[in-house]
Amino acid sequence: MSQSMFDKLSHVLVPIAGKLNNNRYLQVLRDAFMLAFPFTIFGSIAVVIMNLPFLDKVMSEGAIKALQAALGVAPQATMNIMTLFVVFGIGYYLSRSYEVESIFGGAIALVSFLMVTPFSTSVEGKGIVENVLALDRLGAKGMFLGMIVAFLSAEIYRFIVQKNFTIKMPAGVPPAVAKSFSALIPAVSTLTVFLAINIIVTQVFHTNLHDAIYKLVQTPLVGLGSGIIATLIAIFCIQILWFFGLHGQIIVNSVMDPIWNTLALENLNAYTKTGHVPHVITKQFIDTYTVGMGGTGMTLAVVFAILFFMKSKQMRQVPKLAIGPGIFNVNEPVIFGLPIVMNPLILFPWIIAPMVVTLVTYLAMSSGLVPPPTGVTVPWTVPIFINGILATNSLAGGLLQLVNFAIVLIIWFPFLKFIDRMNVRKEQEAEETPQSQSA
Amino acid sequence: MGVKKILLACSSGMSTSLLVTKMQQYVKSIGDEAEIWAVGQDQAKAEMAKADVVLIGPQMSFLKSELQKEADKYDVKVDVIDMVAYGMADGKKVYEQALRLMGENQ
Repeated sequence: MSQSMFDKLSHVLVPIAGKLNNNRYLQVLRDAFMLAFPFTIFGSIAVVIMNLPFLDKVMSEGAIKALQAALGVAPQATMNIMTLFVVFGIGYYLSRSYEVESIFGGAIALVSFLMVTPFSTSVEGKGIVENVLALDRLGAKGMFLGMIVAFLSAEIYRFIVQKNFTIKMPAGVPPAVAKSFSALIPAVSTLTVFLAINIIVTQVFHTNLHDAIYKLVQTPLVGLGSGIIATLIAIFCIQILWFFGLHGQIIVNSVMDPIWNTLALENLNAYTKTGHVPHVITKQFIDTYTVGMGGTGMTLAVVFAILFFMKSKQMRQVPKLAIGPGIFNVNEPVIFGLPIVMNPLILFPWIIAPMVVTLVTYLAMSSGLVPPPTGVTVPWTVPIFINGILATNSLAGGLLQLVNFAIVLIIWFPFLKFIDRMNVRKEQEAEETPQSQSA
Repeated sequence: MGVKKILLACSSGMSTSLLVTKMQQYVKSIGDEAEIWAVGQDQAKAEMAKADVVLIGPQMSFLKSELQKEADKYDVKVDVIDMVAYGMADGKKVYEQALRLMGENQ
């Protein structure tokens, strides 16, 4: 590919990336998931402690049970009701983006979601129990319904506010009172819509929105996202975008995160109950096995290859800057310093290595050789090996990363060596020229 | 002009924070005074009121026009950091880029 062709492609990609990144709904979705982040980390720490692999060797069975009972509420109150945070977050941030009273936008979204949620659940052996909310509907199972309801309710709410159908209080009324009155008509109208929807669904169709959306929308979409083909396509897109110097994850993840996060929640629910997980590909699979090895493109291996095997001065500049941040999976110094961006010599390993590693990881996990991530949240800045162990709760998860590290190294090596040799020759020529002048 | 206020922004404020240290070292070495800080893209709009100039990481180049729209309210210039300077965390080059932009502003 010639440089001008790269430029042309870049002219096409930059506006698309901009549109996706600045899309109001995707931006709101991203912020809403971030709202849940500190809480899921808290819940994750509890899950990791409860499931430490050597626990059964140092504690009696009774003591482990007591520990699990004591800490069990932490994931219940955080990750298992994650949809509530996402619903509130969408309502809040979407209202804020329209510059209408955002706290009410969040609260209205939450109530709208509860309005379509059954306040009863069927328990085995006891039939239907009334006056309870099923926890799974507030977590993984209700995720897509929650997102849909939150976006719709916030849109209705802001529409009515912006049309000025509100009660205005005379000056002198305290602002908090005035605000709650001005939210009255928009809130009542929005909630009426969802009450009506719920009546129709329950009375006419004899089901509930939770089950309907779960079956018709969530299961097919999540099924698609959990497949290896869709994942490889996502990785390919991320790598291509970064090749053009654009932040691939910000763009691709805003579409994929709802699916990957739902899969992770389903894994965590199953893991805390049975110790086994249903899915291989989850948010943590992506974070730990594609980003968590030195950043996008798993460049820690590249930095090591340069550090130990490359000779040209130009290349040896890179590890000096890149190794520190690289350990914590920040790799802009490699991407822009090597550079990877718009460098046709590097296009091949840059795209192929992550796809091969993703495939190898998937096969290792689906064959049962290495346990898949449990669904606990591990921040993406945790270094390689440690994040692998934490995410899968097993040493094998960390070891697999070391194998992947070697794969990346092998794929990159001939390309790096080629560039290195060119650089060395250039540097020698540059050194020889002034010498011949002085002679 | 007093203390120059330079805001850097990238996806989460992590990779630009590397550059902040390098720029501050350079600023100190030439005896200048500048306040330089890094934020994630979601805070960039809120923070730019306090800045004289906004520089964004090249991986966020698609944000430029959107941020410039907001920055026009404060008469602040937004530009994308030079790729090579960013990759090499070249504090001198990026600081000079910031100065050039501010110069255009006066």
